[in-house]
Amino acid sequence: MNLKKPSFFRAATITVALLIAIFILLVILGVVTHSPMGVFIESLFSEEIQFAVRLSIITSVISTLLCILVAVPVAYALARYSFPGKTVMNMLMDIPMALPPLVAGVGLLLFFGVSPIGKSLAAAGLTVVFTPLGIIVAQFFVNLPYMLRVTRATFQSVNPRYEYVAKTLGCTDAQAFWRVTLPMSSNGLLAGSVITWSKGIGEFGAALMLAGATRMKTETLPLSLFLNMSIGKLEYAISAATILIMISIVSLYVFERYGGATHVY
Amino acid sequence: MLTIDSVSKSLGEFTLSNVSLSIGDGEYFIVLGPTGAGKTILLETIAGIYSPDAGRILLNGRDITDVPARDRNIGMVYQDYMLFPHLTVEENIGFGLKSRRADPVFIRGKVEESAELLNISHLLHRYPGTLSGGEQQRAAIARALVMEPEALLLDEPLSALDVKTRESLRVELARIHEATGMTIVHITHNFEEVFDLADRVAIMRGGEVVQVGTPEEIFRRPNSDFVAGFVGVENLFRGMGSSTGTVAVGNLRIQVENAISGPVSVAIRPEDILLSKTALPENEKNVFLGRIDSVRPNGGLVRVFVNTGIPFQVTLTRQGFEEAGIAPGDAVYLAFRPSSAHVYPSGAPEEA
Repeated sequence: MNLKKPSFFRAATITVALLIAIFILLVILGVVTHSPMGVFIESLFSEEIQFAVRLSIITSVISTLLCILVAVPVAYALARYSFPGKTVMNMLMDIPMALPPLVAGVGLLLFFGVSPIGKSLAAAGLTVVFTPLGIIVAQFFVNLPYMLRVTRATFQSVNPRYEYVAKTLGCTDAQAFWRVTLPMSSNGLLAGSVITWSKGIGEFGAALMLAGATRMKTETLPLSLFLNMSIGKLEYAISAATILIMISIVSLYVFERYGGATHVY
Repeated sequence: MLTIDSVSKSLGEFTLSNVSLSIGDGEYFIVLGPTGAGKTILLETIAGIYSPDAGRILLNGRDITDVPARDRNIGMVYQDYMLFPHLTVEENIGFGLKSRRADPVFIRGKVEESAELLNISHLLHRYPGTLSGGEQQRAAIARALVMEPEALLLDEPLSALDVKTRESLRVELARIHEATGMTIVHITHNFEEVFDLADRVAIMRGGEVVQVGTPEEIFRRPNSDFVAGFVGVENLFRGMGSSTGTVAVGNLRIQVENAISGPVSVAIRPEDILLSKTALPENEKNVFLGRIDSVRPNGGLVRVFVNTGIPFQVTLTRQGFEEAGIAPGDAVYLAFRPSSAHVYPSGAPEEA
C-alpha cells in the first residue's frame, strides 16, 4: 500500500467506517444522556429497577452456571471424540442460536406447558411457565449454543497430545482433562461465560414467552425496559437500558481480552 | 525388552500394517522414515494412546497390549515438547509423580535430580513459555525420565530445534542413554541422527517396516531402492543379474559376491571406490576406465564424478585426491571389490 499517495478508495472505505462508528456512538450516547443525572439516579434506586437488577443478576448467573455445566462435557465430547450422529448433533445444538428467540420461547412454552414431561415437572413442583424459573430456562436454552461454540473451539485449540503425555504420566482420561485441558482452556471458558452471561441478562423474546411479563415478578431488566416504555415511564426504561449498555460494553471488553488469547496453545 | 508383534492399526490416512520389532534392553533404537510413514502412530501405539487393531505389544515379558497408557510405565517426549503451559518447569517434571500421589518431599528430590541430569536446575521456577526450544525439550525429557520408565519414546526430539541446539541435545541424548541405560525408541526422518545415536535402525514406509539393522548395515546393504534412496546411496544402478555373479549395467559387467538372477539394483559406497591414473591389473575384478566429469570439494573430502558409460561418484580424502593428481577431463581407472557391490532384487521401478 502506498501511504504517500492518497487513494480515493482508501479514503472512501475509511469514511464509511468512520460514519458508522459515529452513528453507533450517537445512538448509545442518546440513551445514556437522555435523563438528567438526578432523575437517572433516583429511578436507579427505585424499588422496581432494584428488583429488575436483582432478578436479572440471579437468573443470568444461574443460567450461565447451567450453561457451563452442560457445555463443558458436551463441547469436550464434540471436540475430542468421534461417534455416530455427531454431525447431526452438532447442527441440532446450533439451532437455538439461529432461531428467533420468540420462536424458541413458543417451543419452550409448549414443552413445559402442555407436554407430558412439562406437566409431570409441574406436578413435581418445578413450575417453569410464568415463573422466574422460566426466565432461567429461557436464558439457558437460547444461550447454550454460544457457550458451547466457544468451549468447543477452546478445547479444539488444545493439542490432544498434551492429554496423551498426561496419560503416559499416570493420568486417567478424567484426570488428564482436569489437570491439563481444563486449566489450559481457562481463558476461553472465562470469555465464553462472560458472553453467555451478558446475553442472558439481555434475553427478552424467549423469556417473555415462557415467563411472561409480570411486573415485580418476572421483570428482568429488558422486560422492565419493555414494560416501562409501553406505559410511558421513560426514565425507568432509560435506567434499565443504561445498565444493559454498561453490562454489554464491559462483557465485550472481557470477551475480546480473554477470548482472543485462546489460540495461544 | 520391548516386543512389537505383528501390530496393525488404521487411523484414517495413517496406518501401521503388520509391524514387528524387537528392541533389546538398553538399546537405542531409531525408527527412520519419511513423513506419513506411520512413525508417530507406532510410538503412540507403544505408549498406549491407541490400542492396536491386531497384534501384541510386550514390555519385559509383560503383555501390555490392553494396559492403559497410565499403567504402562513408558515415557513419551514429543517434537513440540508438550510442556503444560500453565505449570512451572518444576510442576511439569513433578506432574507424573503427583499423579501417583507421591510424597511432596520425595517429588521435590526426584525433580531436582532429574533437572540436574538435564542441566536445567536453574530453570525450575520458570514457565515453559519463557524457555528456548532446547530448554523446553530438556524439561520434557526430564518430565519423562523422572518416572523411571521402562522405555522412553522420543518423537522427532531434535527436529524442531536450530542446528546448534540440535547438536548439543544430540550429544546430551547419547550421554543420558549412557548414564541411564534406558531402552530408547527414537523416531526421526533425519538420517544424520542415526549414526550418532542408534544401536539399530528400522526403516518405515507406508506403515510397514521395510528394513531393520545396524546403521552400518542399512547404509551399506540397503534391501530396496526405497531404503537406498532414503539413506542417500550415491552409486545406485539398475541392471540384470546372472547366476554367475555378474550384473550387467549398461555396457559394464559388475562382479558381485551374491549371485541374483533377474532385475537387480547394485549399490556401491563412494568411499569404497579406488581411482587411479595408471592402469590397474586387467585381471582385477571391477576395473573400469572412465573420464572425470567434475570434482567437488566438500569439507575434508573431495567428491569426484566419473563417467564410465554409467556415472559413478567417488569420495576421496583431500590428501588422496592431491596424491592422485587428477583433474576434470582426465582418463582414470576406477576399481572396487565385488564385496563392496551390494546387490538386491529390484522388482518394478519405483520412486525413492
